[in-house]
Amino acid sequence: MLKNIQEWILLLAIFGLTAYLGNWIGYGMLSVDGLLGIFVLILISLAGLILQKLIPVNIPSVGYIGILGILVSTPWFPGSEYVVEWTSNIQLLALATPILAYAGISIGRNWADFVQLGWRSFVVAACVFLGTFIGSALIAEIILRMQGII
Amino acid sequence: MELVKDWRLHALVLLIVLLTEWVGTYEIGVGPGVILFLPMFYAIIIGLILYFTPLVKKASAKNAEPFIVLGVTLLIAKIGVIIGPDIGTIIEAGPALVLQELGNLATVFIALPVAVLLGFKRESIGMTHSIAREPNVGLIIDKYSFNSPEGRGVMAIYIFGTVFGAVFFGLLSGLLATITPLNVLSFAMASGVGSGSMMTAASGSLIAAFPDLENQIAAYAGASNLLSLSTGMYLSIFVGLPLTEKLYRLMQRRRGDDAAQTKGE
Repeated sequence: MLKNIQEWILLLAIFGLTAYLGNWIGYGMLSVDGLLGIFVLILISLAGLILQKLIPVNIPSVGYIGILGILVSTPWFPGSEYVVEWTSNIQLLALATPILAYAGISIGRNWADFVQLGWRSFVVAACVFLGTFIGSALIAEIILRMQGII
Repeated sequence: MELVKDWRLHALVLLIVLLTEWVGTYEIGVGPGVILFLPMFYAIIIGLILYFTPLVKKASAKNAEPFIVLGVTLLIAKIGVIIGPDIGTIIEAGPALVLQELGNLATVFIALPVAVLLGFKRESIGMTHSIAREPNVGLIIDKYSFNSPEGRGVMAIYIFGTVFGAVFFGLLSGLLATITPLNVLSFAMASGVGSGSMMTAASGSLIAAFPDLENQIAAYAGASNLLSLSTGMYLSIFVGLPLTEKLYRLMQRRRGDDAAQTKGE
């Protein structure tokens, strides 16, 4: 467990630094607040990863992390204004770019399987993704309209 | 600790990130809509190309995987702190968030007939019962085994999604949100249907197209993704898969009748 935590901290720090530098180049945001923002996000992720190991229920760690993130930034949590202020210096898209850079390198391993699928599979896959996406959007649209949110 | 020491991998990713962020976002008008090209799309493509160069060792490609997982945890943490201050808006949108999960079932009605028409047999059940992320793959393999037609089917969609899903959703979401009459917030919820990187790409495009709504888009997409992760498999077990099986048998019977009739004539 301790070894796990040590490794998580190092990996999250490497990822966080890359995202922080991307945040600077892409969005011109270079500040101590931004560094603190990354630090807070790493702490939240770490806490969620640890909780997932400690609690013997089959919930993915992102479940805990999402809830922790919400909790520490709600107005009634002490110090939440700092959490919100610091993390607002890190753009969501700046976190996304390194994820997909690592993903690009890693999906190379699936490439041989991918090209073997053939065009018929591609057509079905496109229908699956499009169907789910539009199906969800349609239902959301109907309910949001009924509620008068949009 | 091997992961940490793979400095070449991290240096490459850093270079990709700096380069792509420096290039920035471009948009192409398509009639009334736009297709957005975001740094993250260049990043996934450059990463894929680099895999085939000597710069990336095969071990590095494997080492990259835990970083995707950890990167997504940071992204979810960020979405959490976006939601927190406006937790009220998410609670208010709760009914829509929960019910849009059923949209996953729409794929059965759209994709299954296409798969059957294209000549897939029982593969089509694995292919179209869900969006084929890890929990669904697990379910199919558990129920039919890895080497069954259903197993091959779900793996085909899984591989397609892994390789192409983020780019597919990213390019499509911005375009659909700008050309269809549906509200961008509805598409924000729909962005959560798949994996973390699909959600990232789809909602990223929406944010780039509607920057004023950034917080609400991120909140809806993130909440929807968390919900899909936690409920997706159960929806598959209790509704998606039985429905697909039933519809498949119905279509087979119909085709069987057709075939018999043709023979009789």
